[in-house]
Amino acid sequence: MMMKLSYLLLAGLTNGSVYGLIGLSLSIIYGSSRVINFAQGEFVMLGAMTAVMFLATLALPWPVALVLVAVVAIVAALGLDHGVYRPLVRRKAEPLTIMIGTLAAAIIIYGIALLVWGPEQKFVPPILSLAPIRFGFLMTNAQQLAIIAMFFGFLVATWFLLYRTRFGLSIRATGVNPRVALLMGIRSERIVQFSFMYSAFVSGMAGLMIGPLLGGQIGMGLLLTVKGFMAAILGGLGSPFAAAAGGLAIGLMEAFMAGYGTSLYAEPAIFVLILLVLIVRPYGLLGDYEAERR
Amino acid sequence: MLRIESITAGYNKSTALDRVSMTINQGTLVSVVGANGAGKSTLVNTISRMVPSYSGRILFEDRDITGLKPADVVDLGIVQVPEGRQLFAPLTVTENLRLGFHRLARRPDTAAKYAERLDYVMGLFPRLAERAGQRAGTMSGGEQQMLAVGRALMAEPRLLMLDEPSLGLAPMVVDQIFDILSTLRKDGLTILLVEQHADEALQLADYGYVMAVGQVRAEGPGNDLRTDPALTHSYLGKPTETA
Repeated sequence: MMMKLSYLLLAGLTNGSVYGLIGLSLSIIYGSSRVINFAQGEFVMLGAMTAVMFLATLALPWPVALVLVAVVAIVAALGLDHGVYRPLVRRKAEPLTIMIGTLAAAIIIYGIALLVWGPEQKFVPPILSLAPIRFGFLMTNAQQLAIIAMFFGFLVATWFLLYRTRFGLSIRATGVNPRVALLMGIRSERIVQFSFMYSAFVSGMAGLMIGPLLGGQIGMGLLLTVKGFMAAILGGLGSPFAAAAGGLAIGLMEAFMAGYGTSLYAEPAIFVLILLVLIVRPYGLLGDYEAERR
Repeated sequence: MLRIESITAGYNKSTALDRVSMTINQGTLVSVVGANGAGKSTLVNTISRMVPSYSGRILFEDRDITGLKPADVVDLGIVQVPEGRQLFAPLTVTENLRLGFHRLARRPDTAAKYAERLDYVMGLFPRLAERAGQRAGTMSGGEQQMLAVGRALMAEPRLLMLDEPSLGLAPMVVDQIFDILSTLRKDGLTILLVEQHADEALQLADYGYVMAVGQVRAEGPGNDLRTDPALTHSYLGKPTETA
């Protein structure tokens, strides 16, 4: 009994950590640009698939592979910024139009990944061990613990960046009022570029770490975008931390519904729950967004 | 210092400024008055490059700035206090001031400079020091306007532009704001003041412009405009109290 509970709890926290990191990424980009990046899950996919390439195919030592995975994710983010975001902004596109642009980017990234890796599911080599570790009735493995630790690590890093640095203050100011931020001399394009790069880095690392548990498959991006988006909506898109908490909530709900009910109904049930939450709290559970309080 | 040469500008192909020319000399306070919709805010935002111009030039120290981006204009030292204050409401007073300092944040002596500017602004507005940790949005209208002016002063502007600083404030607070502007002018700051309160604004000004429907209709030393009965009657809406 306790065994099953603890197993589900850890599985939920692990997947939830990944959903939460995608939610956090989406929220950071939304804050600076008012755009939902539909290609966010593709960064996770790229993280997992390039991990296969660097760790298995090329058999590089893991610190080198980790850096290379980050580089690929950041380069993809720069491509998204320069290829989609900036050209559309310069043509005075609305955020909604740019969102469709990110969706197009997601399909293009998927297409390129199909050419490179093919449609089969790949085994992503874990950096840490998948061998079970037992603490009393708690059964886990090092990779799982590392993912949860990474989740909290990125929360702290993001908090530090936003609330303890001058650049973070500029990011928050741009989120509150981009027009006035411009009047302070803050270059909003740089802020947006940074948020694309940072969120791609976070998502790429999430992909590298969750790959061994989910399996690497080029189609995984879309589902993860949806999960991350649900996380952000449930927690509150306006705050990266609320969005991250939303991810944990969704991961746990998913695990418990699959474990105690049936996985068939897990997703619809979560959607109904999110819908109910939004009817009561339109900005999400913790959504008390800075920009909404202007 | 700033010379506007026959500038035509507006939003979405409409014309809100029609061949406007103005000169602001170093160390003077120039007021631009006129009714709502005369194009005064568009003027400020055209100088800030938030509004595109179709023809004409804006020269800042003999350099044409019409090709620059808003952030570049701030870098040159042209800083505006936008209409309606436009603070970062959920951020604290200190954070708002720090954002105003952005222009100088990359200087090598930035920490000392920040302390110096903060001292100066807190000296002008002691209330802001008391409220340092408070969220800007929770302050009174007058305090918010002081913060908006203080935020702009943090950048050590060379040309300070104020867009309707008296908007929505109690008369006593308006007087305080104008007192501060008078002090700043005496300190040698170059100021462009856009105001609907024509009488007070012109009284304070070295030179003034009267605008209507996007054009300059009259110009001259502030007190001359203020006491010109034809002007006060046709453009400034109401007879001046002191006339």
